[in-house]
Parts: sequence; structure tokens; C-alpha cells
Amino acid sequence: MFKKLLYALPLALAVPGIATAANDYADMAPEEILQALIDETQSPYLSQSEQNLMMMPDNPAQFVAEEGEELFMTPRGPKNATLEGCDFGKGPGVLEGAYVELPRYFADTGRVMDLESRLVHCMMTLQGFTKDDKPIKKRHGSNSDMMKLQTYIGMQSNGMLWNPPMDHPLEKAMRDAGEVMFYRRAGSADFSCQACHGDTGKRIRASVLPNMQVPEEWTKAVSWPAERAGHQNVRSSQHRLRGCYWQMRHPMIKNGSDASIAMISFWTDAARGQPAILPDMKR
Amino acid sequence: MYKKTTKAAVTAASAALMLTIGGCAATGTDGTTASAAPKAAASGKVDYTKMTPEALAEYLIFEAGGFKLDQPTQEGTTGRERITQDELQKACSALRDRPIDGDTAVKVNALARNSIKYPEGGIKLGDWKNGRKLAWSGFGFRMGHKNDDHSKGDPGGNCYNCHQLATDRTGGTIGPSLTGYGRVRGTSEATLKYTYEMIYDPHMYFPCTKMPRMGANGMLRQDQIADIMAYLLDPESPVNALPADPNAPVN
Repeated sequence: MFKKLLYALPLALAVPGIATAANDYADMAPEEILQALIDETQSPYLSQSEQNLMMMPDNPAQFVAEEGEELFMTPRGPKNATLEGCDFGKGPGVLEGAYVELPRYFADTGRVMDLESRLVHCMMTLQGFTKDDKPIKKRHGSNSDMMKLQTYIGMQSNGMLWNPPMDHPLEKAMRDAGEVMFYRRAGSADFSCQACHGDTGKRIRASVLPNMQVPEEWTKAVSWPAERAGHQNVRSSQHRLRGCYWQMRHPMIKNGSDASIAMISFWTDAARGQPAILPDMKR
Repeated sequence: MYKKTTKAAVTAASAALMLTIGGCAATGTDGTTASAAPKAAASGKVDYTKMTPEALAEYLIFEAGGFKLDQPTQEGTTGRERITQDELQKACSALRDRPIDGDTAVKVNALARNSIKYPEGGIKLGDWKNGRKLAWSGFGFRMGHKNDDHSKGDPGGNCYNCHQLATDRTGGTIGPSLTGYGRVRGTSEATLKYTYEMIYDPHMYFPCTKMPRMGANGMLRQDQIADIMAYLLDPESPVNALPADPNAPVN
């Protein structure tokens, strides 16, 4: 496996203002984290839109997250419970740093779960909602409970380093299957993920693509929930994955399937060690 | 030459080694390996941790409700057929991010040669104006909540996705720039043949290229290929317009 070492190790270590220690990013706003990564790498992907950077301080996703916090703390559903009892992997109610350690294995379900599937699980078991109830059924759109909650929970990991656990054999198995899927060429256009995400600085039309093998780029690529400016909605990881397969001329991937979680497991592992930018903003 | 041979030998050896370690038998045409996919345990649950990554990936896609396999496709099949890999896709997927080795190149090139179908009456240029639209359009073959409906419009070639063509529009850089394609090459029979083959099945010249097999996979019809070829090769096409003379006076 040849990692493309395109960027010299930052001499930035000597330059003031560049965050390198794990803690520094956690105190920074998303746009500051992005700027720090741009300063470190001069990545064509990260720096492709000045407008994006300028808009980030006013990211509408922040308001979506506020509504999510309120939902999170409100007793809801047939069981009239809040989500404070939900274990996202670091213990019930622990949200700080939980998202950067997902997907992960959960003993109570025997599955590797991503944020969305774990949230659905808690909404069903703690609050008594069913899959057909609107709070769970409506997955997409800034005015959906799912996106409000996911954006809030994701935001509690802003600036923390991606660190999905790989101790449990199932975590490794899912991540490795996701890697095979990443390189799996199929469909009318013979596309794999690698066809678009295997090089640095290449464009689809006017958009510069992130390279999966450059973690400093890939961290922004996988930082969801993010406001999609062109959609005027905050989008989730599962939504991004679905969008990719649509463009790849594959049939639809199923939200919450092990296939989708294997992909998210691999793509999070590929960003390991880099700071999450949450909530992010994208075109 | 020596390096290529060595790499091919190493690749073949490590592939054999990995197959042995993974406990795989010969790969079936559907990509699964019978001995790597475990029988379901008495509880009905399959143990992912006992499967090779390749076997688990196929399982998650085809047997664990990963995709909407019954979703109808525009070509009259279902999602299952759409993402079942053929020999070329399997061979190229195995490379992952490595450069292609000699053995794979020979194999894929042979597959491509066998796939090429030439148009009745010979290779001819069509209408570059329609080719221009087709090169720009990304419509077609997408499967979503609403599939692209080909009765509402022709699927395009989506060439601008990856290539720069005429300079009045922004193209991608995944593939090489095709600006001035015809001006540089002319329209000899050899050029027409090469261009047609590249669009039909580019693996003939670039085994395991990222470029889709626009003809072999049925993404473009013969008349559409002819129109896109005209966009590339017709001297009147904007693809072949002379660049502005930088020394000409401004007024």
C-alpha cells in the first residue's frame, strides 16, 4: 500500500498558532480547525472554497444542533424518557468524544453500530418509539428530529481526533469489509469509491475531491453532519453514502445495513488521528 | 521489463498466499468463495469474524440486506445484476490502490478486445452539436428514490465529469484534458478507430482505467458515440477551436 506522502511533515511545529497537540483542536471552532489543516497542508481539496470558510461561522447547522440539544433533554415517546440514558459507547449520557469513537461494537445489540443506528436503537428502547413513528422514520432534512439530534451529538466531538475502536474482532471485520467495498468496482460505470477518492487534487467538474489516503483531507470528507449549502439542509453520513452510490450508478444502499456501517467504519478509520470538523459546511 | 516481471510474480505469489491463508477455494463467478462463507450457525447467525474481508463484503452486499437488490434498473434488470461484478471488474478491484501488474494488464486487455463491437457500416462521425449536449449531460442510469427516467430524456455520456473538453465549460481533471483533441490528431481511419475503441471499452488501451466502458456497458448507443466522436474530432467543434492569440491586439 503506497501512501502518497504529498505534504512534508509540518515545519509548522515551530510556527506559532498551528495546533498540533490533540487538545488544541478541541478548543477551536470548526472553521479554525479547517484553516489550521489548510495552513499545514495547502491541500487543494481543503482550500477550494474561500466562500465556504467565510460562511462557516454562520453555519445554519449550529441552530439545528441547538434544537437537537433541546430534543435530547426532553422526555419523549411512549416511555416519556430523555436520551440522557443513551450509551453511545462511552457510557450512558457521555457525549463528549463519543462520535469520534463510532462506529463501534455494542454488547447489548451484538452489532457494530454507527451514530444513526445507535440513536435509533436508543429512541426505540429508551423512549419507546417505533421505526414507523415520525421521529425515527424521517431521517433527512434539517427539520427532522434525526438530523437535529445527530448534529447535536456530532458537535460534541468537534476538534477531537477520529478514533474508532478496533479491539473487538467484529469491529475489525466490518472495517476490513468496508475496505474491500471501497475498492470494489461495479455498476454500469465500473466505479468504485477509489475511482474518485484515490488521488489528490483531482476534480469532478469544478469540485476538488478528497483523497482517502490523505487523512488531513479525509477528515473533512467524513465530517458529517454538515450543512450542504446547495441543499440548504444538514446532511448525515448515511445521506452522503447514499448520494455516492446514486452517482456511481449502483442500486440504493440501505440505511443502517451492515454494508452501510462497514463503509462508514472504514472511512472513519481512514481519518484516524485527524480532528473532526463538526458541524461542517460543504457545497 | 525486469521490474514488471518481478512485480507480477510477487503479486501472483502473494495472491496465492492470501488465498491459502483465507482458506478460499477457487473463486466462483459470483465472487463468493464457498469455503470462506460459513454455514449459518444453529442460531441462524453468521459469524462475520470467521469470513475473509472479500467474502464478508459480498455477503453484506448480496445476503445481508445491504442494497435494494430488487430495485429495477433502466436496462430491464434489477439492482442485483447491476452490481454483480464481471471478470474485468473483479480483476481490477483486486489491484486496490496498486499500479497494474503485467498479468492483470494482459488479462484485462484480452477481455476488452473481446468486448469491442464496431458499428454497422463503419465508424463515422455524427453531429457535434448533439455530441456537445451528450458530453455535458450527467443524466442517466442513476438509481434512487426515483430512477433516472430514460423516457424523459437521453442519458448522457457525462464526459465533462472527468475531462476538460471545449474551453467554454468547466470539466474535471480525473481524466486527461481533451481540449483540441481533433485539431491535434486529424480524422484518419486510425484516429477514428482508436477514439471509438476508447469510448467503447478503454481497457483496450488502459487496462483497469477509471474510465467507464461507455459502449460495452451499454451506457451510450452507437449514434450517441458517433455524436460524441464528432464533438471530439469535427474541425467545426468548439473542442477544436483555436485558442485566442495572446499576441493579438486587444481592440
